[in-house]
Amino acid sequence: MTNQQDNDALTIAAPHFIGLLMEMEHQARELIATTDKSAEELRILLLGPKSELGKLTKQIRQVPPVDRGNVGVVVNEVKESIEKALQKKLSAISDQLSAPNDWFDVTAPGIRPPEGHLHIVSQAITEITRIFERIGFTRVRHPEVDWDWYAFESLNMPPHHPARDEWETFFIDYPGKPPASRADLERKEQIVLTPHTSNGQVREMEKGSLPIRMINIAKCYRRQLDVSHTPMFHQFEGLYVDKEVSIGDLKGVMDFFFKGYYGPDRVSRLRPFHFQFTEPSFEVDINCGVCLGKGCKLCKDGWLELGGSGMVHPNVLRSGGIDPNVYSGFAFGWGVERVAMMKSGTKLDDVRLLYSNDVRFLEQF
Amino acid sequence: MNILIPDSWLREYLNTKATPKQIKEYLSLCGPSVERIHKEAVEVIYDVEITTNRPDAMSVVGVAREAAAILPRFGIAAKLLHDPYKIARKQRWQDSKIANKTLTIKTDANLNPRWTSIVFEGVTVKPSPNWLKKKLEATGIRSLNNIIDITNYLMRGLGQPAHAFDFDAISDKANHATMILRASKKGEKLTTLDGKNHTLPGDDIVIEDGKGRLIDLCGVMGAQNSAIRASTKTVILFLQTYDPMHIRRTMMNLAHRTEAGGLFEKGTDPELVLSAFAKGVELVTELSGGSIASRLYDIYPKPHKPYTVSLTRTKADAYIGKHLSDKEIMEILNTLGFQTKVTKEVITVSVPSFRRDVTIDVDIIEELARIYGYHNITSTLPDTAPPVVMPDPALGGEEEIKMRLRDWGYTETYTYSMISEDLMDIFGLDKAKVYKIANPLSNEWVYMRPTLWPSMLSSVKQNLNIKPDLTLFELSMTYIYRAGKLPDEKPVLLIAWTGDQFYNAKGIGEAIFALFGIPLAASHPVQMDWYTEKQLQLGAYGSVGLVHQKFLDALQIHTPVTILELDIEGLIAHARSTKQYIPIPKYPPSFEDLAFVLPPQTPVGPMMAALKSAHPLVTDVTLLDKYETTTTFHITYLSPEKNLTTEDLRPAREKLIALAQQKFGTTLKTI
Repeated sequence: MTNQQDNDALTIAAPHFIGLLMEMEHQARELIATTDKSAEELRILLLGPKSELGKLTKQIRQVPPVDRGNVGVVVNEVKESIEKALQKKLSAISDQLSAPNDWFDVTAPGIRPPEGHLHIVSQAITEITRIFERIGFTRVRHPEVDWDWYAFESLNMPPHHPARDEWETFFIDYPGKPPASRADLERKEQIVLTPHTSNGQVREMEKGSLPIRMINIAKCYRRQLDVSHTPMFHQFEGLYVDKEVSIGDLKGVMDFFFKGYYGPDRVSRLRPFHFQFTEPSFEVDINCGVCLGKGCKLCKDGWLELGGSGMVHPNVLRSGGIDPNVYSGFAFGWGVERVAMMKSGTKLDDVRLLYSNDVRFLEQF
Repeated sequence: MNILIPDSWLREYLNTKATPKQIKEYLSLCGPSVERIHKEAVEVIYDVEITTNRPDAMSVVGVAREAAAILPRFGIAAKLLHDPYKIARKQRWQDSKIANKTLTIKTDANLNPRWTSIVFEGVTVKPSPNWLKKKLEATGIRSLNNIIDITNYLMRGLGQPAHAFDFDAISDKANHATMILRASKKGEKLTTLDGKNHTLPGDDIVIEDGKGRLIDLCGVMGAQNSAIRASTKTVILFLQTYDPMHIRRTMMNLAHRTEAGGLFEKGTDPELVLSAFAKGVELVTELSGGSIASRLYDIYPKPHKPYTVSLTRTKADAYIGKHLSDKEIMEILNTLGFQTKVTKEVITVSVPSFRRDVTIDVDIIEELARIYGYHNITSTLPDTAPPVVMPDPALGGEEEIKMRLRDWGYTETYTYSMISEDLMDIFGLDKAKVYKIANPLSNEWVYMRPTLWPSMLSSVKQNLNIKPDLTLFELSMTYIYRAGKLPDEKPVLLIAWTGDQFYNAKGIGEAIFALFGIPLAASHPVQMDWYTEKQLQLGAYGSVGLVHQKFLDALQIHTPVTILELDIEGLIAHARSTKQYIPIPKYPPSFEDLAFVLPPQTPVGPMMAALKSAHPLVTDVTLLDKYETTTTFHITYLSPEKNLTTEDLRPAREKLIALAQQKFGTTLKTI
């Protein structure tokens, strides 16, 4: 009686047993596919005597004898299936590691990612921006097409000032208005294509926040076309306004840039020059990258002319609403293309190439 | 402005042992830039760049004055000789007994602050002596005859332009001539010495002979009708100063520049005139055999008044970064011609008449700092706190897009912002609503482009012969017209592919939208006639499609071109820069591929969207394959709560199939 009762309690129906087997197979295969464990560990874990499958197999006696044969077949199938999965995992790894019989050509070219090209000007702009960021100068962008006021007059260059001749300026026609004479184009409400990024000086000051450490990078335009000039080009304009600014500060910032951009051996020098919007004004030279200032075929006397700079003129500070008795500053504006082409090794000798848009040129950078 | 200065002429005004090389190097560091040294025969010639604010230095004596101040700073003795401001004026014209010629002069002190003239008779016009010829030719001026050469000698040597008239050519009665200096009227005509005919724009400074005939385009060039000829016997020597603005306007409006005009437009010194005049009188007498035949006419109603400028020592020290001694300050400024007083607090200078560019304190700082030597100023990095500035997100965003495109295999172009009228016409752009350059350099570059299309398609055309498969992009400004205002400068990204690359183009669009965390805008049915029918509007952000045949034909492009255009400003303005964390699912997803047979022309986009939102367990639907009418989707099921069983999936799958059937009339493909 009790035996009979025990037997009844311990009986496992065949479909239930098979269902448990299938679930174990599914879980085992999933584990094999996803785990990091080694095949040996997995074999013990999944097929060993203490495995779930092992334990279940021992309970086969509880299946009614009439079904026991069929269930046994399923047990074997499940074990084989798991074993196969383990084998497959093992061989997949060894296949990848060695293919002893296949000849393998290491000299065949590798498979590269797609290769695109940024324009040399974009590359230079990014590099310039990064260097100045390190000393707290933030890149901004001011209009490329601007009022004469910002491009000239606010920079201490009233209409008809001879200093304006330094810039071969493009003027904009107002639609519907008759074309004005060249001289009459110089007036406050005239629109010009900015011939330099210096229009950003007073615009930056007008933001009303001091001190200022700005780098304005934008397109500029001048009526010029030869090996070193294109009618469109880029400048970067540095503006620094604070209290008690010295010429030495300008030299320090310039040298920081030159060393960052060209290398630690490069130094700059200032020579007297004149701009209406700076006083004093300087021409900036950098020592030649080839001879480092000794003089060679490329540079003649050891120095290459890079661009202009100076201490911000009090009238410009006033144009921007800043009291020149309290604040002073420096500014510089240099050509992106020129600075990039002077990096030794580019061998670029004609700036017009930059805007030729020939893919045979563009794909070199 | 560059001028050529022969070494031997320079040393007439400068006593120094400095070598030409030293002069070149040290002047360039502290004064006018000596750009080159030419050696011609026995002569060494300096090519000197003089800045526009220093007309006083645009002469041999002007450069000598700078050298005399600069060279001693480098330990080389140097002294200015024959300073025109210091030589005793031998007023020879007063010795003249014969003053039988008279001039009636009317002038205007605003246009002509100082007028000097005198008449010579018995002049012989002939070639100049060799010494004068050589001097002028070395400095780049062609020798013509003794009288003209003397005027050019005064201009180059002393920086004071001069002119000579043929007295007989303008004389209105015996021994008399009338000269009326006035502003020209618009439309008046005049032929200059070089034979060019000018119709004057008006308000130019001219001299007429009293009968309405113009005899001089003042400050720029004399008139042909009063020019010195081989036969000229009686000469008016004429030295003067003019209002600079008038001279510049005239030269600009007539597009006629001369060296004399270049000096006058920058402002010459009326205090120099008489000294130069004395030299001129001396030379005319010596070289032409002529003798003075009139009194000196010197009309100078408002003489120069000396003024002072002061500068605080603290400001000077702050700029230079060093405290200069009283002695050093005095030395520097006095040699440059400034009379200087120095106290503990203030430097005060009396500005010489030839240095009227010095008007405010920083002008004195420049004089001090440059002669002290910019190379002697210590380089320092600013030690104040940098400002706290929020960077412009547009700049970073543009940089990011460019980098991505490079890494995705695209090549960046930079085309000119200006386009031609032809391109404007091809694209049917409104020429009344665009910024047109008033003085273009070429027909190629006339209009500020309102779109990048013309430039990009021109680049495609240009490169097709070189490379058939192009993937180009440009991210540049377009200039959107606003009446009476500056343009709206809008950064636009334009990518172009050769061939039909619609789905690649759309895919790049999707990737860029994803970069900014913006869902790809729902397509608007608006059709742009710049594309073929294969096009898609990306909301307000741009469009993608195949370029219309009419543009390809007009530009002779013989392959389809696909374009993606994006308004970068809009994308950046709406960007979600912070990405939100979604907890990593605890349970693994289940995947299933469902193949449907779609009726022809069933758009797959809305169907995918509908499937994706059909059941909470469906988390993603992607397009796996499309073959003829069969479209296969890859479905991802995921529950945050449990491992999904086949039982759990069934209702979700059934929902998908039912929805596909009801809404899109599709059936599940059975294998």
